[in-house]
Amino acid sequence: MSGTDEETGARRVASEARNRVRFEEEALQLSDQVYRVARRLVSTREEAEDLVQETYARAFRSWRSFTPGTNLRAWLLRILTNLNIDRGRRKQRAPDEQPLEESDYFLYNRLEQASRDGNADEERVVERLSQDDIVGALSAVPHDFRDVVVLVDIGDFTYQDAANILDIPIGTVMSRLHRGRRILKRELADRATGGT
Amino acid sequence: MAGYEIDPCEKCEEAMQPYLDRALSDDERLQAEQHLAGCSYCAKRYRFEESLRQFVRKCCAEQMPPELKLKLASLRTPL
Repeated sequence: MSGTDEETGARRVASEARNRVRFEEEALQLSDQVYRVARRLVSTREEAEDLVQETYARAFRSWRSFTPGTNLRAWLLRILTNLNIDRGRRKQRAPDEQPLEESDYFLYNRLEQASRDGNADEERVVERLSQDDIVGALSAVPHDFRDVVVLVDIGDFTYQDAANILDIPIGTVMSRLHRGRRILKRELADRATGGT
Repeated sequence: MAGYEIDPCEKCEEAMQPYLDRALSDDERLQAEQHLAGCSYCAKRYRFEESLRQFVRKCCAEQMPPELKLKLASLRTPL
């Protein structure tokens, strides 16, 4: 190898190392957000921790397949949701067969009826729900619907990002989101007002 | 249904989820906002839904355990 070839090679190695370090740092900066989503996709804290670790191990190994300038958070979540499915952590697909309330206003109407003060403002009505109600209700939503609700409502992903992460059409994201939110609200109503 | 006018509140309710997701067209959003300005029934329910979403997000904002953060950092490729 001539001197210049060696120099070019060395420069390439150095540049690749810099890119990798930058990638790893950016990925680590997103870890809180990745964990927050993971925690709601699975049932227990231990599962979430394992899943996030596996995700980062895989991401660091295959960092070259990430296209710089695209959404790194969505890329990480795509790895995470695939791992979650691969490892069979998700319970068997359980489509929700229960009929849903006809109305999107259903939860508010129920909570308002249950309160003694029909004119309570909306924030007060929300406060009738506890953190346990929310976490419990969300975990009762079947996986296919919950994944979408968690990505959009907790992960703050766009419909398109959620579609890419889960590898489903955007129309499916929208319909699952709508149904998932209604199931969530029904679960919340049951918890807050003691069954139907 | 033929012969019946669509209840404007029903239409407004249908627009609620896409409205809060900022997924309505400008026209649809304007229509919803015009209705909301004059309808306290729907306005209340929209505000509730928005508060609910914020509350769900707040309740689910579980902090990552610090040990996990250290473990993730240790997965980095050694220099």
